[in-house]
Amino acid sequence: MDIIQFLLDLLFSEAVFVPLIFPGLLTLTVVIVVIIWFERKLAAKVQLRYGPLYVFKPLGGIVQLVADLVKFLFAELIVPKGADKRAFLLSPVILFTFSVAPVVAIPLSSGYAAVKSDLTLLIVPALLTLAPIFVLILGWSSDNKFSFIGGLREGYMMMAYETTMFVAVLAMAVTYSSLSLIDIAGKQSNGLWGIVLNPLAAFAFFVAMLMTTARFPFDVTEAESEIVIGPYTEYSGIYFGLCLGASYAKLYVLSLFFAVVFLGGWNPLIWPLNLNPILPGVAVLVKAFLVMLFCVFLRSVYPRFRIDQALQLGWHKLLALSVASVVLALVLIGLGFEVG
Amino acid sequence: MSEERFLELLIGPQHPGSGHMKITAEMDGDIIVGFEPNIGYVHRAVEKIAETKTYMQIIPLVERPALPDTANHNLGYTLALEKLLGIEAPPRAQYLRTLLAEINRIHSHLYGIGIHGIFIGSSTMFMWAFADREPWMELAQQLTGARLTYSYMIPGGVRRNLPEGFKDNALKATRYMERRLKDYDKLFVHNPVTVARLRDVGILKKNLAARIGVVGPTLRASGISYDVRKIEPYCAYPHLDFDVVVREEGDSHARLLVRVEEILQSIRIIRQVLDEVPDGPVFLESYIKLLSPKIREEAEKTQIMRFPATFAALKPPKGEATSRVEAARGEVFYYIVSDGSPQPYRFRMVTPSFRNVVAFKYALLGRRLADIPAVYGSLDYFPPEADR
Repeated sequence: MDIIQFLLDLLFSEAVFVPLIFPGLLTLTVVIVVIIWFERKLAAKVQLRYGPLYVFKPLGGIVQLVADLVKFLFAELIVPKGADKRAFLLSPVILFTFSVAPVVAIPLSSGYAAVKSDLTLLIVPALLTLAPIFVLILGWSSDNKFSFIGGLREGYMMMAYETTMFVAVLAMAVTYSSLSLIDIAGKQSNGLWGIVLNPLAAFAFFVAMLMTTARFPFDVTEAESEIVIGPYTEYSGIYFGLCLGASYAKLYVLSLFFAVVFLGGWNPLIWPLNLNPILPGVAVLVKAFLVMLFCVFLRSVYPRFRIDQALQLGWHKLLALSVASVVLALVLIGLGFEVG
Repeated sequence: MSEERFLELLIGPQHPGSGHMKITAEMDGDIIVGFEPNIGYVHRAVEKIAETKTYMQIIPLVERPALPDTANHNLGYTLALEKLLGIEAPPRAQYLRTLLAEINRIHSHLYGIGIHGIFIGSSTMFMWAFADREPWMELAQQLTGARLTYSYMIPGGVRRNLPEGFKDNALKATRYMERRLKDYDKLFVHNPVTVARLRDVGILKKNLAARIGVVGPTLRASGISYDVRKIEPYCAYPHLDFDVVVREEGDSHARLLVRVEEILQSIRIIRQVLDEVPDGPVFLESYIKLLSPKIREEAEKTQIMRFPATFAALKPPKGEATSRVEAARGEVFYYIVSDGSPQPYRFRMVTPSFRNVVAFKYALLGRRLADIPAVYGSLDYFPPEADR
């Protein structure tokens, strides 16, 4: 019996449970399956179509992506002749890993977090900045002009959105006078969420989030009619699946982050949520899911910007906006406004 | 190698944004410094095949190159053939021809708008436009029996009379389309992202457009009021009241707007045709006499003419004839030389896409890579039509 108890303890220990089960890999997989299904169903609704329907009809084709994944798994992986083989094969894996990795720094409740640090507000965006480098590498290693251009576009976009995102995060750090996500979520328990306190930072962060995850209207890295599918052009099979999954994983992580920083985290801590230290995480997940839903919905509303227009928006308007959000935060502090 | 400054980008023919065409773009960073559209990938030798077919067999043949716009090509060929034969269709047939030509213009423009939408990333516009072609194709099916390749206009008239209840359905479709155009406007045509992508992109100035000889909406968006329906009216157009849509800007957005407004003008024409269509025969009396009594009786009873096989060996007199028609993408020109045999001696068609393809070279220089699909869509270039 001791062994079973030991295994259970191990499973529910923060260091295992968070990265592997909730909100880590397992939850991520389910969320990706559901969000892609929602994305396609929403778009279909707007576009007067049915969307996915035939894979498991009683639930409206919700397992369509599972079928697609199985197909991806059995598809041949083609490595182009001129490709840098090692980089070509390794970078999608590392890209996906680094896209999911920041999830460990996101706390589920005040007592349950894998990374016990006072700097989690910085750890999440810091880990995320590693991922785009591998998009650059895989675009370069494919030996294809479209992949190369796509990789470069990702590089340009990275510079445009990261600055904005970091400055917006800085504004929130000033607003809450804390760099710990647990503290920040705790300080929103009075119902005054981050999005109300500093709407400028929330908006700047949200748009930067759309840019980094290549959602419309900032779909420039994967612009189909221009550069086929950007950096992933030469990939096939499950590696292609990994590349696409990485962008959704990033969206997932950023939405969780957005939910904790701007949407009150696990607050309000109502009845069934306060029974167990893991359960408040469900509230975070639900909020994050709604954010994701909004992000993917934009696909049916907007065409895509040109790269120079997206960059201009990033550098000229968003950066100014995020700087303004820092000023706003300083004003709040200067007026003696105590949060939490 | 170190001296190479430009990146040569080969776009197509296997590329989601190229169509049946190979584009060679010289890129200086993100800027296009050289642009060479390479056409001919879907050349089917329509002109040469036509020399081996009888005159009636050419009717379905000329529709094939321009599938979204079959009625106008059909009409152009029929008008040229009628000139050669020295006949003219009765007034009711002229109105019905105009009706089908305008229905076709609407769904061809919708096709162009949809493709333009997906090219700059709006999948919703693509789906909407393609879904809204449906009522028009249904109408055409009621009128002609076919959804796309109508072969409706034959020398001497049209194959079928107006069916029962057609007017109500057509008016319903026009009202639906007007409603939908308002939705398009909100979601796509004046969406801020669309405007940012298309305005001041791919400008063709007035004198340049005239010099390189582009036609159709592309020309009219550059500020030149040129429309064969007004300049050399044919069929029922001289009796109808409609405007030639002209815009001064000459950019991609202007070309999109011209197409949208032309849909409204076509709706206007369709309404007038439905009100004013005269009574009478839809096929030339002197030709009806040539039909066998059985077919004649059947045609009178059902108002549907079976494709007159009697004319399989139609032999126009020696001579040549030309015709011009304003198709959806611009002016289409037909030239037939007859040597008195059942096949034409020489057959020539000049299609609007073929005349517009040159605009790529001028509109895209100095623009960015991402502007290629934006301009491509705005020209509504249809490769099979250009290649014939």
